[in-house]
Amino acid sequence: MEYKVEAHRIMSISLGKIYNSRVQRGGIKLHKNLLVSLVLRSARQVYLSDYYGGACLGSQRAEAGEWAEGETMESLEGRSSPGAAGADSCESETESRETLRAPETNAQASVEVAAERNAEEPASSSDYNWPQGGETDEERAPGQAEDSTQVPSCPVPESRFECGAANADEGPQSPAAAAPCCTRKRSAGKSPYAGSPVKRPRPGSVPPANTEGGDASEDMDTGNVSSLITIFGSSFSGLLSKDGAQAEPGAADGDSGSGTICCEQMLPNLSPWSTAIVAF
Amino acid sequence: MTLSSDIISTVEFNQTGELLATGDKGGRVVIFQREPESKNEPYCQGEYNVYSTFQSHEPEFDYLKSLEIEEKINKIRWLPQQNAAHFLLSTNDKTIKLWKVSERDKRPEGYNLKDEEGRMKDLSTVTSLQVPVLKPMDLMVEVSARRIFANGHTYHVNSISVNSDCETYMSADDLRINLWHLGITDRSFNIVDIKPANMEELTEVITAAEFHPHHCNLFVYSSSKGSLRLCDMRASALCDKHAKLFEEPEDPNNRSFFSEIISSISDVKFSHSGRYLLTRDYLTTKVWDLNMENKPIETYQVHDYLRSKLCSLYENDCIFDKFECAWNGSDSVIMTGAYNNFFRMFDRNTKRDVTLEASRESSKPRAVLKPRRVCAGGKRRKDDISVDSLDFTKKILHTAWHPAENIIAIAATNNLYIFQDKVNSEMH
Repeated sequence: MEYKVEAHRIMSISLGKIYNSRVQRGGIKLHKNLLVSLVLRSARQVYLSDYYGGACLGSQRAEAGEWAEGETMESLEGRSSPGAAGADSCESETESRETLRAPETNAQASVEVAAERNAEEPASSSDYNWPQGGETDEERAPGQAEDSTQVPSCPVPESRFECGAANADEGPQSPAAAAPCCTRKRSAGKSPYAGSPVKRPRPGSVPPANTEGGDASEDMDTGNVSSLITIFGSSFSGLLSKDGAQAEPGAADGDSGSGTICCEQMLPNLSPWSTAIVAF
Repeated sequence: MTLSSDIISTVEFNQTGELLATGDKGGRVVIFQREPESKNEPYCQGEYNVYSTFQSHEPEFDYLKSLEIEEKINKIRWLPQQNAAHFLLSTNDKTIKLWKVSERDKRPEGYNLKDEEGRMKDLSTVTSLQVPVLKPMDLMVEVSARRIFANGHTYHVNSISVNSDCETYMSADDLRINLWHLGITDRSFNIVDIKPANMEELTEVITAAEFHPHHCNLFVYSSSKGSLRLCDMRASALCDKHAKLFEEPEDPNNRSFFSEIISSISDVKFSHSGRYLLTRDYLTTKVWDLNMENKPIETYQVHDYLRSKLCSLYENDCIFDKFECAWNGSDSVIMTGAYNNFFRMFDRNTKRDVTLEASRESSKPRAVLKPRRVCAGGKRRKDDISVDSLDFTKKILHTAWHPAENIIAIAATNNLYIFQDKVNSEMH
């Protein structure tokens, strides 16, 4: 298991580096961030390599058709997560997942947006694969959170890590899974990004995860990420216990890196990080 | 206290070795000139003294992208000298500048209308005409910016290289290489573009590029994946297809999380002969023969004891340090820097290597550099440094070797060390 801990640690460090690169003088360094994203991907692969081997005891596959392994496991994880959340584990876990998802999306998005902003011509939104975290939230009525069978029709780009992250709780987004929706959320007609290439993140605003909706681009800001890091700096259980307050993007799970549980929930659903990172 | 703006970021001798230029993080360039040999001590080569200092680049702000552009000088390259003046190119992340360095040691005196201070004379006092004559004056070195090559790069410029035709030069950033004419600033030709249509598919970037020393149509560029591409500009306008690809298969035994990072090439240099290429990645330096693409002909371990510490080096960002490498004048010895202010030299013929330290203690005039050793465990000799006591903040990234003699310039953070090998200078 040590290698998993190590891989997890490396992922956290990597995300921290990516985050910090946004505020470095001289702009984002493409080369360094590319290398960091490669490390992130390697670590993730190692981390997950045994994950599926051990965790797919899959007793709770819901709808096989729509459920990827990741989702199933993720559900398992959620349910089995230490009841730090309290009594209503289902609900809290769902919420936390939602929270995790959106913030992570935001985090990724902010990284990418910042990078892209700093890169050359403003990229068209088609360069991004923004999982509209908010969208998926919207798709799910809060009460349906537990209904893990609800899968947004075309929610998440399969191979995009943000999506994976975004749909941590709901989407069949195991990275390995042939998720039905391999197109970008945009293609589902919900992308808020069309035509909004590089928006400067507004520092400090931490939009509630559930309402992130289409306007993810506006919400990709360092404030989210730093909150993420802060939250995770304390511990993941802190996130779970904060029921409604999960607007604290615990997201980008890796960012601050504490909380194995978070990782275990999130990671299976992460698609290649590198692909997201490289949207410079 | 070390000001970060004083950190030396590039070192380069000119083609004769008479001048040595350094650039720093603060955007300044300092040029040293070698004093002529003293008549009193004919065997004592001259020392380098400051010749000129000027501010090459200033910090800028790209308002459109809300991006600050660092003034740090990434590279300096001298142009071959064609007249009394010296020309050099200096670049930061975005803008390349051509500087003219000239001397003025005479000035005209005896103007008819102006007096010595430049004030207009009272015309009534002028009764005859005189021809101004040139009189000696204290040497003054003047530096002026002759060309500014701006707006050519979206990404960060990492290399510049002057072509052997002395008319063109190239500049490389992470994804593109541009060809410029030294006299034309408002346009450049893009000769390499590895930017993918979809940036999410990006897998490698350009890390260094250099023209062949003799063939003006050939150049090489290195990538973050550890490969080298030799391109021929005669083949097509856009040299996306390489003429040769130099790549060594990865050793599966050494695979780790950081394999990709440590295989990224940080510097590439043609040998003076033009026959070989020298590359540096994080742990090794390699010599490639242009005629053999599938592997280097020589591989030298610079600090293999760091291989087990890659995770820590990743955490503290040291793994991203970009070390440069250098050939000596006869291409028989290669040199590169390491940590703890150590630098290494490898003799390609004898296969001997040496580790030396650039420090104040070792740099007293006439002091002989003592070889150092890093002990990676096992028996430790006296004066060995253990791996754990290496100072990773003291890194020698930039080194240069005099084109003809055994004189080396070592940049250690904000200090420049110049070492001369007087004993062996006749042997090479």
